[in-house]
Amino acid sequence: MSQNNSAMKVVGQSIPRIDAPIKATGKARYTGDMKLPGMLYGKMLFSSVPHASIVRIDVSKALALPGVKDVIVGKDTPGIKFGNWRLFPATQDELPLAIDKVRFIGDAVAAVAAISQDIADEAIGLIEVEYAPLPAVYTIEDSLAAGAPLIHDENKELTNNISLDRKIDVGDVDAAFATADYVREDTVFVHAVSHAYMEPCAVLVEPDTEGRLTIWTSTQTPYIVQCLLASTLAIPENHVRVVKPYIGGGFGGKMELRPWDFCASLLARRTGRPVRFVLTRVEEFEVGRRRHGMKIRSKVAFKKDGTLIAKDFEAYLDGGAYNSMGPTATFLCGNFGAMLYRYPNYRYRGHHVYTNKPPAGAMRGFGAPQALYLSETQMNIAAEELGIDPIELRLKNAMVTGDVIEGVTRISSAGFVESLHKVAEMTNWKEKRASLAPNKGIGIGCYSFISGGVFNWFNTQYNFASCEIRAYSDGTAHLLTMAADIGQGSDTVLRQIMAQDLGLDPEQIRLTAADVTMTPKADLGTWGSRVTLMNGNAVLDATQKMRAELAKMVSLRFNLNVIHEVAFADGRVFAKAQPAKGISFGEAVTMWVKANRGEELVVRGHYTPRDLGLTSPAYSFGAQVAEVEVDPETGVVTVEKVSTAHDCGTVINPLAVEGQLEGAIQMGLGYALCEQFVMRDGKTLNTTFLDYKVPAAEDMPAIASAAIETYEPQGPLGAKEAGEGLAIPTAPAVSDAVWHATGYRCKDLPITPEKILRATGKL
Amino acid sequence: MDKVCITLNVNGDRYELAVDPWRTLVEVLRDDLNLTGTKIGCQTGDCGACTVLIDGKSVASCMMLAVAADNKNIATIEGLSTGQDELHPIQEAFVEQGAIQCGYCTPGMVLSTKYLLDQNPDPTETEIRQALSGNLCRCTGYHRIVKAVEAVAVKMRADGKGE
Amino acid sequence: MSLPKFTYCEPKTLEEAALKLAEYDGRARIVAGGTDLLLGMRRGIAKPEVVISLARIAGANAIVASATELRIGAMATLAEVAQHPLVQQHFPALACAAAVTGTVQIRNMGTVVGNICNASPSADTATPLLIYDAKMIVVAPGGERTVALAEFFRGPGKTALTQGELVKEIVLKLPSGTTRSNYQKLSPRSKVDIAIVGVSALLAFSETGAIRRARIAIGSVAPVPKRALEAENMLEGCQLTPEVIAAVAAVAAKEAAPITDMRASEDYRRSMVAVLTRRALQQNQREQQ
Ligand SMILES: Cc1cc2nc3c(=O)[nH]c(=O)nc-3n(C[C@H](O)[C@H](O)[C@H](O)COP(=O)(O)OP(=O)(O)OC[C@H]3O[C@@H](n4cnc5c(N)ncnc54)[C@H](O)[C@@H]3O)c2cc1C
Ligand code: FES
Ligand code: FES
Repeated sequence: MSQNNSAMKVVGQSIPRIDAPIKATGKARYTGDMKLPGMLYGKMLFSSVPHASIVRIDVSKALALPGVKDVIVGKDTPGIKFGNWRLFPATQDELPLAIDKVRFIGDAVAAVAAISQDIADEAIGLIEVEYAPLPAVYTIEDSLAAGAPLIHDENKELTNNISLDRKIDVGDVDAAFATADYVREDTVFVHAVSHAYMEPCAVLVEPDTEGRLTIWTSTQTPYIVQCLLASTLAIPENHVRVVKPYIGGGFGGKMELRPWDFCASLLARRTGRPVRFVLTRVEEFEVGRRRHGMKIRSKVAFKKDGTLIAKDFEAYLDGGAYNSMGPTATFLCGNFGAMLYRYPNYRYRGHHVYTNKPPAGAMRGFGAPQALYLSETQMNIAAEELGIDPIELRLKNAMVTGDVIEGVTRISSAGFVESLHKVAEMTNWKEKRASLAPNKGIGIGCYSFISGGVFNWFNTQYNFASCEIRAYSDGTAHLLTMAADIGQGSDTVLRQIMAQDLGLDPEQIRLTAADVTMTPKADLGTWGSRVTLMNGNAVLDATQKMRAELAKMVSLRFNLNVIHEVAFADGRVFAKAQPAKGISFGEAVTMWVKANRGEELVVRGHYTPRDLGLTSPAYSFGAQVAEVEVDPETGVVTVEKVSTAHDCGTVINPLAVEGQLEGAIQMGLGYALCEQFVMRDGKTLNTTFLDYKVPAAEDMPAIASAAIETYEPQGPLGAKEAGEGLAIPTAPAVSDAVWHATGYRCKDLPITPEKILRATGKL
Repeated sequence: MDKVCITLNVNGDRYELAVDPWRTLVEVLRDDLNLTGTKIGCQTGDCGACTVLIDGKSVASCMMLAVAADNKNIATIEGLSTGQDELHPIQEAFVEQGAIQCGYCTPGMVLSTKYLLDQNPDPTETEIRQALSGNLCRCTGYHRIVKAVEAVAVKMRADGKGE
Repeated sequence: MSLPKFTYCEPKTLEEAALKLAEYDGRARIVAGGTDLLLGMRRGIAKPEVVISLARIAGANAIVASATELRIGAMATLAEVAQHPLVQQHFPALACAAAVTGTVQIRNMGTVVGNICNASPSADTATPLLIYDAKMIVVAPGGERTVALAEFFRGPGKTALTQGELVKEIVLKLPSGTTRSNYQKLSPRSKVDIAIVGVSALLAFSETGAIRRARIAIGSVAPVPKRALEAENMLEGCQLTPEVIAAVAAVAAKEAAPITDMRASEDYRRSMVAVLTRRALQQNQREQQ
C-alpha cells in the first residue's frame, strides 16, 4: 500500500522500543502506581460459592467501620447487563454486580471504597451475604447431562447450558469420507490456563462535578471499556474518558469491561472522589479470565498418497459462567480447524457451554491453540500411520497463496511451504527424526493465525482503526492513535511505519495513544493480532493524505512538471528524479500553513476491512520443531531447543518480532508442560505463582528462528501478524517430540511426567 | 499496636517514618515514599517484580517487613541511573537488546542483574538464568534479557566499572 | 491485600526473645527471614498478635566452626549457608539443598533454621540435616536443651518446641574419615519449585570399601521429613553393588507415606523415592571411586 518508493530505512530495522527507557528506569506509570488527592481505596467482594441465589446482603457493619465511605451492591446499580458481543444482545449475560444470583466463585457481589486499603480490606470481611446454594456443574459433561441446573435460567431462549453454536459446512464431508483410503478419529481434552500477565488488573477513576469520569485502567481495549461502562452506568459515552496508562501485559485477559472498572466508576460518582482498585494475584488467579478448556473431536480422511480430502471437527468449549469472549473462541476454533491445510470438505460444529467456573475469555491464540493442538497432533499420528514423513505430509497439503475456504476466507499470502522447508533444514529434521539417541525426541507443530478480525461482533459504528497526524514547521509530527500498546510494541511499530512513509526520523514523531477523548474514534483495541495490520493501514492512509498535501507545496515551489513523483526521505520532500529540487519537511509544512491561511496541517487515516470474508484480512503461517529429552525414570521432559520458521509478511521490526516469538515459546511451554488450574468444586486451588507454575528463565530451551518474508497485499508495507500465532505450535511440537522419545501421545494437556510414566508402563 | 519509627536509606536519601509494623517494605516504598518503580506482581515472593537491594543483597520487598529494613541501605530502580537522560549500563543493555516489552518485570530484573554482576562479573549463560529465576517475565521468554545481561557483563568488564 | 495486624519487637538477646515468646503464650511468633511467616500471614493461616524478630540479636547470623563442630545460627541465611566453604566441604548435601531452595531473593532472606522450624514436609534443608545427625539447640526462658533433628519434626508445621522455646542454632558434627553425601531434589514442573520428593544420602566407607555408616532421609513423602531407617540398616557393612542399591531404594520407597496433592500423586512420589535414593547412592559411589 505504500506509495513511498525510497528504500526502507526505518521499517525492517531493529529499533529499540520507544518506551523502553522509561520502563527501564521505573518511571513508566502503570495504573496501580497512580494516586490522586482525596483518592479512596477500593476492594471487591467476590462470591465464595459456585452457584446460589442471593438471599440477603447486609453491608451495615462494613458501612459503620470508620473510614469506609461507601459500599455498593447489585441493587445500587442500574442492573444493566454487558458483554463484548453487542451485535447479539442476547449474548450479553453479565452484570457488573450480581443482583439475585451468583454463578461462579468470583462473581462480583459488592464493593467498598475507604480511606485506606487496610480499611477497605477489613470492610469486605464485614459484609454478610446469605446464599441459598443451587446445584452446580463443573465439567462439560455434567453441564450437558439431563437434569443439569440451568446456569442462565433467566434467558428463556436457552433450553440447556449451551449458550451458542457455530457451524461451518464446506463441500460434502460424508461423501468424501466414503471415498477415503485412510480415516483417523481422535478426541482430545485441552485445559484452561492463565494469562499470568505480570501486572494485576487495576483501575483509577476520577469524577468531575458534572458526573463525567476519567478512567485509567489496565486494558487492551479502551474503547470497549468506554462503551460498556457508559451503557452499564446508563450515562452517555462521551461522559466516559478512558485513558490507557502503561500496561503490564494482557494476552487477551484485559479486553473486556471488568467489575472493578464499573465499581470504581460508580463509587467515584457516588462519593465524588477518585477511587482506585488494584487486584491481588490471588484474586487474579481466582476470578481472572482464562483460556478455554475444550473437548475436541476430529475425524480426518486421506487418500493413500496422503492427500487430505475431508475433516469433521467438533468442539465443546468450557466457557465458565458467562459468555465473555467465548462466542469468538467458538467461531475461531472452527476457522482454525480448517486452516494450514487444504480441506476440500470441512464440517465444524462448535458449542459454547456454561459451567459454574470462572469464565474463559480471549487468550493469545483465541481458539487456535486448542484447535491446532488436535489438528497438528492428528497430522503427526496420520503421518506415522500412513508411513509418510510428517513434514512431507504437510507439504503435500499445505495452504498456499490464493487458497480459498469457501464462505470463510481467502489466503492472500502464505509462506507455509517455505516455512516447512526452512525449519526442516534448520533442524536437520530428516536425519534426527530417523535416528536419535534413546530418550531424545524431535517433533513438529505448525500454526496459522489471523491478522485482526473482520467480524464486527462489537457492532462498532466507527472505523476499525483510525489515527490523526499533525505536522509542524519545526519538522516534527504528532501521531494520535487509539491503538493500545500493552507491551507488544505497537507504539514503536506505528511510529516506524509513519516515519518510513513520511521520510522522518522516528524520534521526530510525538505519539499520543489510547485516550478515547483525545485520539480519533475509534479502535477496537489490541486483540486478534489486529494492531499492526489495521492501525498500520490507518497510519498509511493518513500519511498518504499528508504526502499529497505536502507534495503540492514542492510542486508549486519548484514549478514541477506534473509527471514528477514527489518523494519523502531524510526529513526532506523532493522531486524524486531531481532530489535537489526539494525542501525540508518543516519548510513544506510552513508553506502549507501559509497557503491555508493559518490552518494547522492535520490529516486523518482510517481502516476497516471490507469485502474480506468473515474472519481476517490476512494470515500468518509458521512451522516449529521442538527437541526434547525425557528422563525415562522420572518422566521429566527437558525441552532442549525450539526452532521456528515463520511467515509474518514484511518484518517491520525484527527485534519486536523475535521478542514476540520468544515470549510465545515461554507461554507455549507452560501450556504444554507445567501450567494448569487445579480446581475443586468450582474453586481454584492454585492461586500463587508457587502453585501455578509458569516457566522461569532456567526452564527455557535454546531458541532459533528464521523469518520467511512474504509480502501481504492487505498489510501495511506488506506486514501481518507476529504475536499470537506463535503461541500455538509449541504444545503440539513438544507433544510430538515427547511421543518420538517415549511413544506416549498426549491427548489431555498438560504433558506431565506421571502421564508419561503411566503410558509407558513405568508407574 | 503502635507505629514504629524507622529510618530508611533509600538510594542515598534518608527517610524517617513511623510505620505500622505489618506493612511490607514494598508497600512503604510505593505508598509512603512514592517510589513506584518497584512493582508488585504477587506479594508472595514468587515473581521478583518487587526486587530491591538491601545492603547490596537482592530481596523480595513484598516478603520483608518495612520495620526489618530499619537503618539499612536500600537500592531501588529509581536510584540506578544518575541523570535525567542517563541510563545505567544495565538499563542501556536492556533497552538495546529488546529485553523490555510490557516492562512490568523490568525494574526487578534490572536489580537482580545488578546483584548478579556485583557478585559475578563474568557469569555463564546458565548462571545468568539461575540468577534471574526469581524474576518472572511473561512477555519476553527471557531470551533477550539473558542477552542483555551477557552484553552488559562484557561492557562493564571492559569499562572496568563492575562495581 | 495487607497483612493482618500485629505488634513487633526486636529483642537484643535470645533470652529476651524467649521471655517475650513465653509471655504471649502461643500468640507470638518468631520471625527470621519471614519468607514462610509472611506467606502464612498473607494467606490468613498465621495470625500472631506479636511478631518477635531475631534480626537484632548479635551473632545470630553466624556460621562458626570449632575443631569438631559447625554451628549455624538462627539468622544465617540459605545463601550464606550454601556459600560457606566449610559447609561445602563437609556438608555438601546441605550446601546443595540450600542453593536450590526457593529463588535468589528467597535465599538472601530465608534462613536454614526458619526452613526447619517451619516444619514443612518438603523443606529442602531438612533431609540433608537429618543425614548429618543435626542437633537443634533450643532456648527457653529457663535455659537451653538439645533436640536431635529426628525428634524435632512432629507433623506438618509442628515441631518439638514448646511454649517459650526457640531455636538458637543448629549443630553439626564435623565428619571423621571419608563420607560421601548428596541431595537429590525432584520438582518436575520447573527448576524453581517446591520438591515433590527430596532424598539425601550419606555413606561412610571403611578401608575395604564396605559401608561403615549409612544415612538416608526422605522429604515430601510423609507428614515429616524422615530417615529411612530400614534402608539405612540394609546398607551397613555391605559393599555397594547395583543389586544392593536397587534393594535399598525399594525399601526406602516402602518407608515413604506420601499423599496426593496438586503437585504429584501418591504413587508417583513413592516410585520417585526409589529413583532418587538410587541416584543418591550411585553418586556417593561415584565420588568414592
Ligand atoms: C517464593 C518462595 C519460594 C520458596 N521455595 C522454597 C523451596 O524451594 N524449598 C523450601 O524448603 N522452602 C521454600 N520456601 C519456604 C521458605 O522460604 C523457607 O522455608 C525458608 O528457609 C524459611 O526461612 P525464614 O527465615 O524466612 O523463615 P521465617 O518465615 O522467618 O520462619 C519460618 C517459621 O519458623 C519459625 N521460626 C523461625 N526461626 C525460628 C527460631 N529461631 N526458633 C523458633 N521458630 C522459628 C517462625 O515462627 C515461622 O513459623 C519458599 C518460600 C517462598 C516465599
Ligand atoms: S511482588 Fe514480591 S515477589 Fe512478586
Ligand atoms: S516484559 Fe512484560 S513481564 Fe517482562
